[in-house]
Amino acid sequence: MATSAARKLAEVKPRERAVIRRMPKRPQITEKTVQSSAEKTAGYVDYSLILIVFFLCIFGLIMLFSTSSFEAGMKFGDTAYYLKRQAAATMLGIGVMFLLSVFPHYRILKHLAMPAYLFSAGLIALVMTDLGYEANGARRWLQIGPVSVQPAEVAKFAMIVFLAALITVMRGKASSWKGFLFCFLMTLPIVLMIYRITENLSSAIIVLGIAMIMLFVATPGYRRFVLIAAIGCTAVAAIIYGILHYADPSQSVRFARIFAWNDLEAYASGKGYQPLQALYAIGSGGIFGKGLGQSIQKTGFIPEVQNDMIFSIICEELGLFGGIAVLMMFFLLLWRLVIIASNTEDLFGSLLVIGVMGHIAIQVILNIAVVTSLIPNTGITLPFISYGGSAIVMQLAEIGVVMNVARRIRA
Amino acid sequence: MEEVRRGKTKTGVASWMRRKLAMVFLLVLAAFVVLGVRLYLIVRDNSETYKRQVLSQQQYDSRALPARRGRIVDANGTVFALSERVYNIILDTKALLEKDSYLGPTMAALVSKFGIDEETVLTYINTHPGSRYYVLKRTVPFEQITAFRDLMDEESENYNENIHGVWFEEGYRRSYPNGALAGNVIGFTTSDGNGLYGVEEYYNDVLSGTPGREYGYLGDDANPQYTVIPASAGNTVVLTIDSNIQAMVERNLREFAEAHENTARMADGAHNIGCIIQNVNTGEILAMAGYPAFNPADTQNREPLLGRPMVDEQGNYVRDDASEYTYLTNELLDGMEYDHLMQQYNALWRNFCISDTYEPGSVVKPFTVAAALENGTITGNEWYQCNGQLHVGDYDIACHNKAGHGAVSVSRGIEVSCNVAMMHIGASMGIPEFAKFQNVFNFGLKTGVDLAGEARTQDLVFGADQMGETELATYSFGQGFNVTMIETISAFSSLVNGGYYYEPHVVKRIVSDSGATVKNIEPRVLKQTVSATTSDIIRNYCNQVVSGQEGSGKSARPAGYRIGGKTGTAETLPRTQKKWFVVSFMGYAPADNPQIAIYVVVDRPNAAEQDSSRYATTIVKGILTEVLPYLGIPMTEALTPEEQEELHRMRERTYLLYDLPEEEGEEGTEENGEETPEETPQEPGMTTAQAENTEAQQTP
Repeated sequence: MATSAARKLAEVKPRERAVIRRMPKRPQITEKTVQSSAEKTAGYVDYSLILIVFFLCIFGLIMLFSTSSFEAGMKFGDTAYYLKRQAAATMLGIGVMFLLSVFPHYRILKHLAMPAYLFSAGLIALVMTDLGYEANGARRWLQIGPVSVQPAEVAKFAMIVFLAALITVMRGKASSWKGFLFCFLMTLPIVLMIYRITENLSSAIIVLGIAMIMLFVATPGYRRFVLIAAIGCTAVAAIIYGILHYADPSQSVRFARIFAWNDLEAYASGKGYQPLQALYAIGSGGIFGKGLGQSIQKTGFIPEVQNDMIFSIICEELGLFGGIAVLMMFFLLLWRLVIIASNTEDLFGSLLVIGVMGHIAIQVILNIAVVTSLIPNTGITLPFISYGGSAIVMQLAEIGVVMNVARRIRA
Repeated sequence: MEEVRRGKTKTGVASWMRRKLAMVFLLVLAAFVVLGVRLYLIVRDNSETYKRQVLSQQQYDSRALPARRGRIVDANGTVFALSERVYNIILDTKALLEKDSYLGPTMAALVSKFGIDEETVLTYINTHPGSRYYVLKRTVPFEQITAFRDLMDEESENYNENIHGVWFEEGYRRSYPNGALAGNVIGFTTSDGNGLYGVEEYYNDVLSGTPGREYGYLGDDANPQYTVIPASAGNTVVLTIDSNIQAMVERNLREFAEAHENTARMADGAHNIGCIIQNVNTGEILAMAGYPAFNPADTQNREPLLGRPMVDEQGNYVRDDASEYTYLTNELLDGMEYDHLMQQYNALWRNFCISDTYEPGSVVKPFTVAAALENGTITGNEWYQCNGQLHVGDYDIACHNKAGHGAVSVSRGIEVSCNVAMMHIGASMGIPEFAKFQNVFNFGLKTGVDLAGEARTQDLVFGADQMGETELATYSFGQGFNVTMIETISAFSSLVNGGYYYEPHVVKRIVSDSGATVKNIEPRVLKQTVSATTSDIIRNYCNQVVSGQEGSGKSARPAGYRIGGKTGTAETLPRTQKKWFVVSFMGYAPADNPQIAIYVVVDRPNAAEQDSSRYATTIVKGILTEVLPYLGIPMTEALTPEEQEELHRMRERTYLLYDLPEEEGEEGTEENGEETPEETPQEPGMTTAQAENTEAQQTP
């Protein structure tokens, strides 16, 4: 499938046809080798990774209950309302994780890359139909039977698989400007769809970021990345400067958020309210916090506290100590992912792990940056901890793929 | 090249990829460090400020629970004032708009059950969709809200799940089941439950009770919890006032006023009419009434204002150059500014008996004589010559009888009310002694009556250092200084009861909500004003005023009784071309062994010739004719056929108990029976007795 997609694209770029023609043979060879080695080693299991992921999931559920019980009690009369739903999603996610870690061989994913790409695009498009539904003022969800799915979360996973496959298939060609641009252009439709259709800028940025990290690692040289980073940073700075000086906060919600970020106190009753209240939560927690369950800010002061802002309550209840501990757990997780990625013998597997690592790293950094008001407010959740069924299932599925990759590492 | 790369792929990830991966990891690490430092800085720099901020944002849901205000009951337990539980209907717009299906049924129910104007409420809902508190209707009694509550009660069969966003706020409404009866004594309450005027104001703290509080807070499991500190109801105040006597007094005042209304002038029967009946042996006020009366339940009713003299913005009577007063009409009231209008009401609400001062006139003559007797200046056997006037200082001061009374004994001086005799007596006493006795009789001092608004008269009575020869002369017959009614009758009671000055009071007991006596207010003798002998002599003199041949107060005597007293006629200040008078009668009954003192003052009667004490004496007669039989004081005098005829006539239209002992109970209950549905059959007096009994049992 990947080859057919590549061929199709190669028609547009005839000069690459020869390279792509050779592709079908290659996987067969490597697959055999890896399979046999996997059989011999009986699989490597990264227990540290599993431990960290389990810790984050359980810690996440505890913090989610602590954070959401007040609102759940007020709104639904059941303090465990959010906990129950999240616990169910987590159980499902863990099941998916173990399934993906043992079966099938991750290499199958290479063949599923193009369908996954199209599937996620299709899901996003479905949001426009009657299946899509709106919550909290944004139309981002699909309601399929009793379950609701956020297509953007699926797209992140699909993009990791697709890019890993694409870069592997393109090999050295991705190193060229043209190849690089091609890979970049392949991610753009999904990024734009997420941005335009689901009006979810943060997810679009995350998908773009994942792609950039994967391309950065997978292609040699620094110049173009330094250039892109420089252009990107300048552009962002210029846009923010431009908005602050030449625009009006009433023009758009995002403008308003940027104005609020620039001066939280001045917009304390508007867009600055949520980030400011989050800062109050972090600051009032002190070094060791008020104690688990003792948060005051969760009692209606921070809107959507169990989603984007859960980290502020972790800091309020467990203090600076708890906040740093969570950061370190994520750091350990990322470290394990880097270790796995470095030790994987095969590029595709390595890229999959790098994509997952990039995904988790970006979300953690952006989420905490938002909570601490380092960047303007945008809806990014904290992986494994924030409330969100689609997110936790997809993140655990990603970890399952990583574990699958890890199993093939020769001990 | 290709071979190399392929080989590297087989053995693992290219080393430059590892380096780049390590670089990504380092960048992530750097980002984490930045985040960690940021967290640290937030905590280091803002921990204390934010802690305070978080606490200050807390809005503890707390609600005051109103306390039920205590009742005011008369000596027999008849309820003058009580508080009923009522409800304010509150709309929570936000809750109402939570679902589209709520609005229709809820509005329909509100309209059908409470008759609320749908337009107004819908407009409010549209303009205030986030409102949580809007008073739809105030002070709705419990019976009216039960039907609506039923709709919201899940247990009920009428339960309608679509009715939301309405709740009921508890409160109390003061009601006065006896209407205007004793309104001047009772006072009233403001809408926020504070007493104004009278007992309501003076005993506000006793009546108020302690409001409770409902606190909301978050429990350990982050569930909202509530704690209620219940309100404790106020105490009941038991008056010395007897509502039956009060009713008799008020009706007599009203009848007089109606009889004189719009006669000499288009106005009320008098500017003010006041009457106090006091138990001479305890100082208890049995009745205290002013005309016109107002209804405490309807304080801003215009009706009692009409025909009253208008006051200006400072509360003083408006008089024109011809010294005529302006009387309130509907037209005048319509054109009035709010503040000016409120002054008219203030003038109406004040209690004439304690708040208004006036020159007492001849009713002080017994005091002058008593003082002279007491300090030995006279023996009672002196004679004076009255030629109709006496030259004092630079003035010729006239007697009311311009022709002169001729030879006047001390006794006759009181009987005929001779000014000249009094001036001689005053002069023989001298200024220091006379001023001392003014003080002994409490003139110029507050009586300390337990009612709000007693006037201060200290500046209106000269002391020895301010008094001159002329003042002494005029003071001796009651001109030139000002008194209040309560001041005068309290002193007079001491004059006739053997010399004991009792502190006047209108409350005899304070009872808790559960019925236990909190405080008994016992009669309090403040001083001995005169000796018992002097008191006996004065009583004899005053008896002559009513019984004597020349007595000026003969018309005050009720059929079948002997009473004593003194009339009074005083010109009002300022002295103008047109003369205005305050006429009065102060008396006691029975004549030999006084039980009650009565004082009636008619302030500027509506008559062409105002200077006749008959206006006061006829009122006294009418009142005593009813009150003395009611008090069980037996008749001692034979009735003439005319008097019998008169009593029979009066019985037709009053509650007169004369000669009808078998109807006593029936008549007595008719007065208040229907008006006191709240009253427990238990008499407050019995409660006290019971309380004392239990106390006695507890301490053998």
